[in-house]
Amino acid sequence: MKRKAWVFWSALMFLLLVAAGCSGNDGTTSGDGGGESEDGTTELTLAGWASSPEEEKLLNTQLEEFEEENPDITVKHEAIADQYMDVIKTRLVGGEGPDVFYLDAVEAPSLIETGVLEPLNSYVDDEFDAGDFEDTLIEAFKDEEGETYGFPKGYSTLGLFYNKEMLDEAGVDVPTNWEELEEAAIELTTEDTVGLGVAPQMARLQFIGESRSGDMVEDDMAAFGSEEVVQGLQPLVDLRTEEEAAAAPSEMGSESTGEMLGQGRAAMVMEGNWNVPYFEETFPEMDYGVAEIPEMNGTQGTMAYTVSYVMNQASDKKEAAWKLISYLTGKEGMKTWTETGIELPARQSVAEELGFEDDELRGPLVTGAEYATTWSDGPNLPTIYNNFDNEFLSAFLGEKSLEDALETGEKVANDEIGD
Amino acid sequence: MERAETSSTSKVKERKKKQRNNKRLLRDIIQGYGFMLPTILVLLTFILGPVLYAVFLSFFDVTLLGGTVLDFTGVDNYLRLMDDARAQRALLNTGLYVGIVVPVQTFLALFLAATLNAGLKGEKIFRIIYFLPTLTSSAVLTLIFMWMYNQNGLINNMLETVNLPTYNWIGDPNIALYSIMIMNIWATAPLFMVIYLAALQGVPKNLYEAAELDGANVIQRFWYITVPQLRPITSFVVIMGLIGTFQLFDQSYIFSGGSGGPSNSTLTVVLLIYQYAFKSLGTMGYATAIAFMLALIILVASILQRVLSKEEQFN
Amino acid sequence: MNKKKEWSKKLLYVVLITYAVITLVPFVWALSSSFKTFAEISSGVMSFIPNEFTFENYRQIFIEEELFFRWLLNSVAIAGGGTALNLIFNSMAGYALARISFPGKKIWFMLILAVIMIPVQVTMIPNYLILKELGWLNSYQGMIVPAMINATFIFMMRQFFINFPKELEEAASLDGLGRFGMFIRVVLPLAKPALAAQAIFVFMGFWNDFMRPLIIMTDAEMYTLTVGLNSFKGQYVTYWNYIMAASMVFTLPVLVIYMFFNKFFMKGMSFTADK
Repeated sequence: MKRKAWVFWSALMFLLLVAAGCSGNDGTTSGDGGGESEDGTTELTLAGWASSPEEEKLLNTQLEEFEEENPDITVKHEAIADQYMDVIKTRLVGGEGPDVFYLDAVEAPSLIETGVLEPLNSYVDDEFDAGDFEDTLIEAFKDEEGETYGFPKGYSTLGLFYNKEMLDEAGVDVPTNWEELEEAAIELTTEDTVGLGVAPQMARLQFIGESRSGDMVEDDMAAFGSEEVVQGLQPLVDLRTEEEAAAAPSEMGSESTGEMLGQGRAAMVMEGNWNVPYFEETFPEMDYGVAEIPEMNGTQGTMAYTVSYVMNQASDKKEAAWKLISYLTGKEGMKTWTETGIELPARQSVAEELGFEDDELRGPLVTGAEYATTWSDGPNLPTIYNNFDNEFLSAFLGEKSLEDALETGEKVANDEIGD
Repeated sequence: MERAETSSTSKVKERKKKQRNNKRLLRDIIQGYGFMLPTILVLLTFILGPVLYAVFLSFFDVTLLGGTVLDFTGVDNYLRLMDDARAQRALLNTGLYVGIVVPVQTFLALFLAATLNAGLKGEKIFRIIYFLPTLTSSAVLTLIFMWMYNQNGLINNMLETVNLPTYNWIGDPNIALYSIMIMNIWATAPLFMVIYLAALQGVPKNLYEAAELDGANVIQRFWYITVPQLRPITSFVVIMGLIGTFQLFDQSYIFSGGSGGPSNSTLTVVLLIYQYAFKSLGTMGYATAIAFMLALIILVASILQRVLSKEEQFN
Repeated sequence: MNKKKEWSKKLLYVVLITYAVITLVPFVWALSSSFKTFAEISSGVMSFIPNEFTFENYRQIFIEEELFFRWLLNSVAIAGGGTALNLIFNSMAGYALARISFPGKKIWFMLILAVIMIPVQVTMIPNYLILKELGWLNSYQGMIVPAMINATFIFMMRQFFINFPKELEEAASLDGLGRFGMFIRVVLPLAKPALAAQAIFVFMGFWNDFMRPLIIMTDAEMYTLTVGLNSFKGQYVTYWNYIMAASMVFTLPVLVIYMFFNKFFMKGMSFTADK
């Protein structure tokens, strides 16, 4: 027996050694392995989240164009399938982060604060023309000193998407202010359809909460329990609880308000431009229109969402990384990316060139960029919106009064943030 | 003379015995640790190492991103738990969840295994069908259930046809946690069913035969033979159930989109840990502190289970 | 008496079939959805038979995804290798904890139990750092070695071995078999049902594992199926048709393995509880 055991153990040790040995070669493939490879080309890693097949194709076109222009750089694209920020943060902690990666504006302030992002001001030259970007969009990627850490690849805004047939049948005009919206929603509500589909999340509703000059976030703390914010959101909640003319997607068995509209479960929804290709693919029969979000309390408002390309501060291929960023967010690259309208161009010059302003569907969305609230509000926003969403849903469904719900949410959020 | 001889031989014997005992002890040590070696190696490197690191972190305010920043706070992270309303809510939810799910799923698993081991026709097919939920990843299952749970979904449609009240399974704070419970019982019972099935093969057939001769009916045989015979496995199933349910995360994450809502009704301890570890900065230490309190609670629950079931102690 | 038996049998079948239906419904729906177009799934009309039967979703997975077979290979290599190692090591440890009395045994057992109780969320980052130091990121061993033992199944094997009849071991040791030889020749063959159960669970664990490969594997060539086939969830839109097809594709191999090992639960022999 002893011999047998001996053979077994040595085999095992051998196996472990082999395993350990193999790894020596593999280890260097990731980000930290030297600036240049033997043949003089630099390999960059670019990480983003996975998205639709079309977006994947567009990005590949962009990357091919880039590699053609820069034969000494190759780009390895990593699509992170899920829980993007968790994966990116873990890799950054381990010093294995990608050279260039996507960063949503909502996560930007907290990441900038930690110092893992490379400041980009010193790289920018006249040709890049940083002034061309919409100010509201780029603001989220700047720190207090005005240093910029990322340039937007595009943006999306919310507009009022409505089902033309339903509006015609009910004899309702497209609403332009909140009172008209309420009337229209009540008019449009039938047994299977609600007038207005609402996504009960701060990401979608912040501009409504702030329409009565309240502020949902003040000095990086939650402030959504204030009277002004409650007043701002109350009409929306009343529309659901009193008039039963509004509903959340989960109530109707839909995944998003866009789907509610497509499925005929809502006549009007506040949605973003990503729905345009989505509707084309999934609900080609539907006749819909897009308008600006109705005025609230006499002012226009909407949300804007933007994603930037940022550079890893620990990257040792910064020159090449900047080339990639400046291509992807440059005039040429952005045109390739936004041409089909998946995202709206964050550069004014590209927007003019593509002429989306005159587009029947995208026009109102482009106009919205001027007065939009960008979805980004300091480093604690993730904690704040988490608690808002958590409590607001109860109020929206009529389980709690809005005032109670928001007060509780605000308190919990601020306890969590601490001092 | 004779006596002296006996005493000396007995001394020799004793010494030999001692020697043998020593040799035996040595052999047991070599064998025991030999068998355990791979386990110990992995345990030390990949589990204990990280756990100790986490213990260490639990005494600090930690920012790991952008160069680790540690700020020693002593036991503050543990004290903070005392007046964290969300942590208490999470613990309450989790406790309720464990209290309902563990007994139900254990009994269901035992029941299913016992029925599928009775020699019925078509057993094989049932065994495969019942196991399907376990084979599918929990993410896909949760998505399928969310589709069935929504207000116009399959479940409400069925309830309506038989004139039962319908519910807002996902949106109603009073219901949401129960929706997750139902789904989880359904998905994990088959897993434990398979363990019971494997264990049932070892219950001696003659016990049943003898009992049948004594006139015991099916239910009596189940209670007086199957259940006691499977006690060590039940102990395993219950402890695994405790650990699994205390660590509920996936389902409530997907159900609530990561927030634990509506109104914290689906917030679980691990979801809270996740939020503190990844969603907000500088709270990694607090997250690990909660994790250790949770581990402590599970440990106490497991020991309690062992004491209650009067199983042989850790020997 | 016989009549009564007949009745109870029928009742049992009714219960079994009802439960089977409850179990099957979600899967039938998922299966039928995998043959639907995205438009049909999104339309919100619930039906178990696709309106417009399409293989497009599967085509997208098998043909459009150039790396599909590479991902399959990765998944099989990791799950297969990991399962084999787990079966040996867990059984060895479980056996030692149940049958050999060595000093420190209690402590190790407690330790093994204790580590199951710590949520992975807090050890994820330190674990990643260790793998990085070893240079095992983006490699098979980075996936396999840290998971080549599993505390849960060590515990399970211990519970199984505790009831194992002592006489058999004694007889074997009289035959001149040493501990290890006996373990391989006598104990393991008798533990087939437990090993089969373990094989299924461990394989499933590796096969469905999502978070670990997501973090460890950076090259698309090193992805496992779960990670590779999860790229159909966009930022705003989820492509249910592809997800359902993908979930069917990766449930099938596990189902086959389960059916294979299932036979061991039928004709198992093993532990007679000696109480």
